[in-house]
Amino acid sequence: MVAAFALTVEDMREASAAAPGGRFFALFDANALIAAVARSGDRAAFAELFDHFAPRVKGLLMRGGTSAELAEEIAQETLLTVWRKAALFDPAKANASTWIATIARNRRIDIARRETRSRLSQVYEILDEDGPEQPDETISGAERDARIRAAMTGLSADQYRVVELAFLEEFSHQDVAQRLAIPLGTVKSRLRLALSHLRGKLEDLR
Amino acid sequence: MSMAHRPSDETLAAFAGGHLDEGLALVVAAHLELDGESRRRMREFMAIQGELLDRIEPIPMAAGYPAEELEPHSAIATPTASPAIAADVPAVLRPYALGPWRPIGLRIAMRRVEVPGADSRVFMLRAGPGIALPPHKHTGFEWTTILAGAYEHQYGRYVVGDFDEADTEHDHTPAVDPVEGCTCLVAMTGKVLLQGWLGRLLQPLVRF
Repeated sequence: MVAAFALTVEDMREASAAAPGGRFFALFDANALIAAVARSGDRAAFAELFDHFAPRVKGLLMRGGTSAELAEEIAQETLLTVWRKAALFDPAKANASTWIATIARNRRIDIARRETRSRLSQVYEILDEDGPEQPDETISGAERDARIRAAMTGLSADQYRVVELAFLEEFSHQDVAQRLAIPLGTVKSRLRLALSHLRGKLEDLR
Repeated sequence: MSMAHRPSDETLAAFAGGHLDEGLALVVAAHLELDGESRRRMREFMAIQGELLDRIEPIPMAAGYPAEELEPHSAIATPTASPAIAADVPAVLRPYALGPWRPIGLRIAMRRVEVPGADSRVFMLRAGPGIALPPHKHTGFEWTTILAGAYEHQYGRYVVGDFDEADTEHDHTPAVDPVEGCTCLVAMTGKVLLQGWLGRLLQPLVRF
């Protein structure tokens, strides 16, 4: 009886692992995977990180107006940077998604502005190293993430779209105004409104 | 004690997203280096981008990861200390070449910051105590972070770490602190329309 039961559970595990995405959602732990890459250059762990994050980085860039080809290249470079810099990841400072979004931002600048020899990504890196936590900043990265998640969940679909716009758009506000056929002033005021709404939620949650 | 002057949410979001002109971004970065509260806001904005990444619809990659491009594990980065830089220059200027200080008038000097990727002109400006900078208007932006000392104009008093975001709507006449003088980092886009005789002395700022 016992053996039969154990077998059944094992079968269920296998079935769950084989189901599309089943194992993925149950066991994906980005922090552990990054730690494995940092510790021993674990290629299997890296492959999992790549499969999870590269399509998301690509999706995020394309949402912001980057071409598929360029988004693919930046996503590749972002994940290669994750491989190289895994040891610098500090989960106490920011979660894995935030860290990878930061790397993606920096790689996008390097790649999209390579003709002008932009050094801006180095500036962001210096700020990351040199910004010591102030006494009023003692909130942990995890606490901050929880507050952000709560604030973002409370946004309407429209507000969410405008927040996306504020962070992702490659287009100028002028382009956005033309695309949406609304006046430039309206784009700016919507942006201001969505950010202040988000700001209000964040302050409430402090 | 005056109110601290900080970038707007829109400006900080554009900075966090990496969408600002490099020169304007550099002035925001110099402010962030000096201001813990703005750094806290920026970290929130970075966390928002992490959240956007979590929620975005993935788009399949055309290719897998290039296994041959993964360096051996021994080459993986470990934390290193940054090289030191002169105490009177913001750390965020480290990647850039700085010109020499050169006088552009009585007790006013400037030093150019070479930012090849920028549409704006970037420079440090140092003015002696009590100097009145010439009245001027802008056709573009003039963003400033105060690095030392203070100045004052009709929108308030700006002290070390403060960020001054002026655009075409502004028409200002900064007066430098009578005791401390003022050193600041400035990025300008468009044209500056100088008024008065001192304007001629400041032409190098506008033209270079």
